Amino acid sequence: MRSQKLATVIVGSALCAAVVLFSCSKSGNNDTTPPPTGGGNSGGDTVLVNLGTNVILPAYQQLGTGTAALDAAITAFNAAPTATTLTAAQNAFKTAYKNWAAISEFEFGPAADLFLTTHFTNSFPTDTALIKSNTAGATYAIDGLANYAAQGFPAIDYLLFGNGNDAVLARFTTSANAAGAKQYLAALSGSIKTKAAAVATAWSPAGGNYLARFTKATGVDAGSSLSLLLNAYVLDFDVNLQNYKVGIPIGLYGPSMLPKAPTKVEGYYSGLSDQLLIAQAQAYQKIYLAGLNAKVAATKAQNNGASLNDVITNQLTTLITKFQALPEPLSTGVSNNASSINDAYTEIRKMTVLLKVDMSSALGIKISFQDDDGD
Amino acid sequence: MTMATNFFTRYRHIAPLAVLRMAFGAVLFISTLRFMCKGWVHDFYVVPTYHFPFEGFEWLHPLPAAGMYALYAVMALAALCICIGLFYRVAAPVFFLCFCYAELLDKTYYLNHYYFVTICAFLLTLVPAHRYCSVDVLRKPSLQVTQVPAWSILLFKYQLCIIYCCAGLSKLTKDWLLNAMPLKIWLPAKADIPVLGPLLKYEFTAYFFSWGGASFDLCIAFLLLAKPTRRFGYVLVIIFHVLTAVLFQIGMFPYLMMSATLIFFSEDFHKKVISSIRSWFSRPPIAQEQTVLLPVRPGKQRMLFYLLALYFAAQVLLPFRYMLYPGTLLWTEEGYRFSWRVMLMEKGGTTFFYVKDAATGKKFEVNNRAFLTPYQERMMETQPDMMLQYAHILKHVYQQQGIAQPQVTVHSYVTLNGSGSRLYIDSTVNLANENNTWFKHNTWVLPFTNKQSR
Repeated sequence: MRSQKLATVIVGSALCAAVVLFSCSKSGNNDTTPPPTGGGNSGGDTVLVNLGTNVILPAYQQLGTGTAALDAAITAFNAAPTATTLTAAQNAFKTAYKNWAAISEFEFGPAADLFLTTHFTNSFPTDTALIKSNTAGATYAIDGLANYAAQGFPAIDYLLFGNGNDAVLARFTTSANAAGAKQYLAALSGSIKTKAAAVATAWSPAGGNYLARFTKATGVDAGSSLSLLLNAYVLDFDVNLQNYKVGIPIGLYGPSMLPKAPTKVEGYYSGLSDQLLIAQAQAYQKIYLAGLNAKVAATKAQNNGASLNDVITNQLTTLITKFQALPEPLSTGVSNNASSINDAYTEIRKMTVLLKVDMSSALGIKISFQDDDGD
Repeated sequence: MTMATNFFTRYRHIAPLAVLRMAFGAVLFISTLRFMCKGWVHDFYVVPTYHFPFEGFEWLHPLPAAGMYALYAVMALAALCICIGLFYRVAAPVFFLCFCYAELLDKTYYLNHYYFVTICAFLLTLVPAHRYCSVDVLRKPSLQVTQVPAWSILLFKYQLCIIYCCAGLSKLTKDWLLNAMPLKIWLPAKADIPVLGPLLKYEFTAYFFSWGGASFDLCIAFLLLAKPTRRFGYVLVIIFHVLTAVLFQIGMFPYLMMSATLIFFSEDFHKKVISSIRSWFSRPPIAQEQTVLLPVRPGKQRMLFYLLALYFAAQVLLPFRYMLYPGTLLWTEEGYRFSWRVMLMEKGGTTFFYVKDAATGKKFEVNNRAFLTPYQERMMETQPDMMLQYAHILKHVYQQQGIAQPQVTVHSYVTLNGSGSRLYIDSTVNLANENNTWFKHNTWVLPFTNKQSR
């Protein structure tokens, strides 16, 4: 009889274990219940709360404001395309584009669900042929899949800055396709504005309150907020900043043998490349210093004999300094083989290794962008 | 000699084997369904363009999508058949072969627990686990036997002993015992879980778990083998594996081990389990059954003994083959797989692969994501043999694109158990020209030194 009891105990424990396992694995998923009150039970929460409340949500709200201002400036410009309204629209564009640089690191959750992604919002170089065909009367879905290379900030960059102010004004006044251009420009800024507002609302406690879910999904497994955030953060740095914004233009990175490509820099027409790089590096720094630093410091991880946290903090500063020393506009610098660009690229490389290898490993986060088992 | 032979050939009740078949079959079935539900058939075998086959199995290729789904459906069905004991003699080999095939396709997905499944599925093909308490017996009552030679049960016990002992021995390292690595990284990261969470941030906890884990692995086989400590041992098995299930993302492994270790229990225990199963189906209790011995052909059995002796010799030796290689095992990973080295390392890396056209001297960096899935890329970035395979993939791709002699080099940085990132591979070596040395030392892996280089 005793063994029968034991058998019951064993089956019972196995069931309990299964329940524990499945309830644990669920916690990172689609759970919309509000966070437990009176939290602060561990360091993980406070960092997520700080990141969500003081960095991510304000950055989205700022993008919302910036893109709304851009849309308004473009409406004013479309109503009366003059040098003055153009300058106003261009300035609004610069602000909004820099706001974008502060949120491209968060491509998970609402941003991914609502397509406020680099793919749709910041694919460069923009497809000028497609833009021309769209403004000339071709049918298009402004934020459609097929139109990804002709939308977002790079498309506005071209329309508002391409070939100088005279050409821009002509594009919207005397050109045969002026009406189409106006319509397309309005559609572009409208689309970004709508998406930015939707994502800000989705994060906001007054709206979808993704913020609550973000701060609640603690831990380091696939699906936890820290894993989502760091995977997005590292991917954005590795792919968008390192490869697309610098590696491809200087001809070091690509699917095959490619020459240098100065026109492939971000913000080519407005010459905003350097400022966008600086804005993005500052965003990385802000995110890191909002609590990731404390987490890394707490692990006492080392790099080359120094504290990893110090090394990362210093490298972020170095990066910003290097970006500030870049020739303006970047495209001209690329053409002239400016050595400062290669310097910056070397520092970007070091940063990638520190973020992707050292930081992730110290925090126990797998940079895999995929759910899987380990052993 | 006869005594030794008697020890293996004397008859024992079949109940432990039948319970193992049902429990393990059930876990295999759930595990296969889970694999499909998570979409991993698609992610692992349909999405990737390239794969990293094991040495000698480069001729294996994944089936088209429908074929891979069918394969997993067959595997699930075979697991279910193993569990209920239907067409067992076909189901067990079918499961084993399908599982092996899927595992051999790509090193990316190698896990110790998949290796464990492969091994147990293999051992299950050797034993008559279906001849009791099974649908096969209902179907064909003449199949029923109540006594089987002891070896068919001992096999599984010895296999589990080897696994736990090797896992324990592999933990007797400076990193594990003196630095509490990698638990010192992993446990604080879990500080948010209920109940246990608050304890995990203390360094002491990492040391406690390190020493506790090593002791558990080293002792558990003996605790389970000896009758007086068996119950206590199994309670430890449950505590240990449930803990690992809660703390780490390791899928079905804890449940596989918990079901497999049931084999250590006494005949009486297993008879009780069978009796309760019988009573659910309103079948007569075991006490009323007639004793039927499994017919054994001595010649065939002796052949099997020789094969099993070889098999177990390999099982014991494989985990120690790392001693034949120079360098740090966890760094070079030469002799790492198939050795029950579980949870030993927190390793992360990144690679920058370059292709240079020897004719023009032009060089560019490739986008790994254009060729590999993120999972493949992550596994490749810390495993030298996979990097070499990837270099050969790149060579092949760029030769087809018209670069006659593509030179492939890599800048690779890896951190191991908190070492901080270090250069991993000799970045001057053209990997396109390096052959797969199979089981020889790869000279282009830089040694794991205490000094860091950039």
